[in-house]
Amino acid sequence: MSAIEIIFFPFVLALGLSLFFRGESNVSKFAALGLFSYMLSFSLSLFEQLPEEGYLLLGEFLKVERFDFVLRLQVDMLSTIMLTLTSVLLILVALSSWSMKNQALYFSLLIMFSGAIFGLFMSTNLLWFFIFWELTLVPMYFLVGVWGAERRIFAAVKFFLYTHFASMLILVAFFLIYKESGAFDFTLVRESMLLSPVLIWWLLFIGFAVKMPIFPFHTWLPDAHVQAPAPISVLLAGVLLKMGAYAMIRLVILLLPETSQQYAWVILTLGLITMFYAAFMAIYETHLKKMVAYSSISHMGLVVIAISTMSYAGLSAALYEMIGHAFIIAPLFLIAGFFHHKTGSWEMRDMGGIMQKAPYISAIFVLAGLGALGLPGTMGFVGELSILISAVKSFGLWMIVVALGSMLGAGYIIWTLRRVIYGEMSEVVKATNFKMNMMEFLALAIFALFIILFGIMPNTLFEYINPAFSQFSSLGGAL
Amino acid sequence: MISAFTLLFAFALMSIALHRSIFLKPFALLGIGLAFYASYLTQGIALSGFSLEENIRLFELIVLVVLFALVLHEEDDITITQILFIGTSSMLLLESQTLLSFILSFESLSLISVILVTQIKTKEQADGAIKMFIAGSLATGILFLGVAFYLIGGGSLLTPLAQETNSFETLGILLMLGGLFYKLTIIPFHSWAVDSYALVRHSHAALLSGLAKTVVAIAVFKVFAPFLMLHSDLTNPILITVALLTMTLGNFLALFRKNIALMLSYSSIAHAGYLLLAFVAVKSEFAKDGILYISIAYIFMQSAAFLVLDILKKHYAISRLEELKGFASQNAILAFMFTIQLFSLAGIPLLAGFLGKAVVFYAVVDAGLWWVALIALLNSALSVGYYAWVVKGMYFDSFSAKEMAFVEIKLPMSAQFILAVGTLYFGIFASTVFGV
Repeated sequence: MSAIEIIFFPFVLALGLSLFFRGESNVSKFAALGLFSYMLSFSLSLFEQLPEEGYLLLGEFLKVERFDFVLRLQVDMLSTIMLTLTSVLLILVALSSWSMKNQALYFSLLIMFSGAIFGLFMSTNLLWFFIFWELTLVPMYFLVGVWGAERRIFAAVKFFLYTHFASMLILVAFFLIYKESGAFDFTLVRESMLLSPVLIWWLLFIGFAVKMPIFPFHTWLPDAHVQAPAPISVLLAGVLLKMGAYAMIRLVILLLPETSQQYAWVILTLGLITMFYAAFMAIYETHLKKMVAYSSISHMGLVVIAISTMSYAGLSAALYEMIGHAFIIAPLFLIAGFFHHKTGSWEMRDMGGIMQKAPYISAIFVLAGLGALGLPGTMGFVGELSILISAVKSFGLWMIVVALGSMLGAGYIIWTLRRVIYGEMSEVVKATNFKMNMMEFLALAIFALFIILFGIMPNTLFEYINPAFSQFSSLGGAL
Repeated sequence: MISAFTLLFAFALMSIALHRSIFLKPFALLGIGLAFYASYLTQGIALSGFSLEENIRLFELIVLVVLFALVLHEEDDITITQILFIGTSSMLLLESQTLLSFILSFESLSLISVILVTQIKTKEQADGAIKMFIAGSLATGILFLGVAFYLIGGGSLLTPLAQETNSFETLGILLMLGGLFYKLTIIPFHSWAVDSYALVRHSHAALLSGLAKTVVAIAVFKVFAPFLMLHSDLTNPILITVALLTMTLGNFLALFRKNIALMLSYSSIAHAGYLLLAFVAVKSEFAKDGILYISIAYIFMQSAAFLVLDILKKHYAISRLEELKGFASQNAILAFMFTIQLFSLAGIPLLAGFLGKAVVFYAVVDAGLWWVALIALLNSALSVGYYAWVVKGMYFDSFSAKEMAFVEIKLPMSAQFILAVGTLYFGIFASTVFGV
């Protein structure tokens, strides 16, 4: 399949599957798994074709010259890494959804989402970027709204409206960029061409801050995360938030470097607030999945801090942490969802002593938890350490406060492990049978493997990550 | 070669003889098909005062496609004939070049619209029809008052609208625009439209709010754009205020409606606000593309949405939001098509509604009014609230208590299919519009 087919084929496939198969048909499940595997091999094959520097052109389609409305598909190292991460996550999400209800429709929506997200990471035309950006909302709206928990409808509508409002700011900024530079293709736009870079910067920053999310624009996320079914929470944390971070790096930091430098303190301050605020909320929370959601936001705060350094080391660290966050938070969400599914409760006080009933699953939960608090040997440690180093290098020694954030992380994670996994076995847990579908367990095991593998050998990842920001290479890369 | 206008007119007249015959519908469809072919080939109506421009030809073709779908959907004989007549006067209006031809075709379109809604079967429909009649008369009155001023100032009816104007002519033109805004349901001339659209039969509302409105918008833009371009300092403050008020009020009022038709009527007013933005951005080279694109998008999605309501009312007796609960499990295909049109109205990408809005809003940014575009975009985001709520009802909520029987709906479904294809096609292949 060519690049354009890999974007639009999923839409056709999703439509076909949803129209011709109903209810619990297995076909769409295997179709999804096959498609996502193909997407992974496609993304991996891109690595070999990438040029040393700059973009690999995959084709131009649907040209409207007069409006520069061209679906120009180009990838560089950064987008290829995002594509690979996304397809790995999609495969694992498909595995973890193996026993989902109303499968035909569920997997069709997942397939539709995969097409939109691939288009997003491959398109360098801002208008098409926006189109794919918005298109990811539609399947997500249904996935949260139909398969979510008790208050799913409220969460789905809030998620849709909130992020859609933010997108409008982004669209205005894109229009201004086109008006002032005459190009919708962001590889052709330079900051010096723009007449009102500050206005554009603020519009883009707020627009993407909602998606990442950065305090005070984060309020949609706890609702969406908690109400979404567990695999979709993984997709939200692993792909949707990464979309925001990717856009923040690509279209704010790299596109408008001077204005970003000027407002780096805004990004840094909000990043610190996000990290600490979310960490305190996580400590306070007794709702298991909400705790994981806040911990996820807190980690995104770290990514924001790394981005605000605007250095080679900082951006590489941010990208590493983005990948690490995706792999670490995913099993936490999946297992939290699994516990809820089995015990019927979200409250930590109803759990306790699960280790004795479900040792393997608990072990993975503990491993991911330790990854989240930054234990050496896991991906979390490498991410937090490299961010800390780059922040200290850029902003001075006082950035050591970032480490305090990790300590708060240790607080809520260890306390949660104590309440949920260890300790006295609660009545509810005693009465529960923690039997998990093999496929879902396989997905968890793969996540756990990644957390350790890239924690021990971070260089295998940094080899790919560092060249993504080679334009900053004079400043020295991360690790 | 005979023009589309002549063909439609002939078929409309002849169709009267075929009432109560099964041949009426195929006959009308044939007429529209031939008109489509003619419009594709000819230079338009061969009368002085009319001419066919390339981008108008595209719009004419699309109007004919929508007319085809409307006839396909319709079961009532009289309405089919009237659809043909509305098509006829739409062709006239779209191709009119001088002020006289414009006013005459506009009035004929208004008149047929009024006749259309006077097929009264219930008390509510009478309410809607009378409101529409009075509003229409008032609009005509204001329009002719404007014409009078314009003529006193020395303007001529037999030429296109003057650009360099004296104060009498300017006043006249502004009054004319006021009268025309009545038809376009621009605030403060909007209140009739809500009741009329919501109360008359839904298939009539599809014609009025979907087809007639966009045809008028395109024609008005064609006639008045040169004037507005020269006098934008004078007109823009008024137009911006009115456009923003129209869309904001329309959206807020639509937000809390439980009656789906009423909600769509308010959303139709909000869309009039978006259409008006093309007039605001008239100085930008994209304004022309903008009004063309948003009209193309709107004619498909609004007509389709009202036709869906017609099906819902006729076959499922649904007219309120809460009755729509779990509809997706009753008729998955219709729910899916309705969702496409609603998302298009909301401006979700890969559907025509998104590109229509995007081009108009870009034209506004291009004219140097980025804050107006921002307000309009936030409005559009707000509108997602009520469109998504309908979708939510169909897909997320479980069945309402009422058991619905399975209904076989063939022809109206094929009409829906045609309109959905239009919405999708113009959401992806923008070059069709920009190429002309």
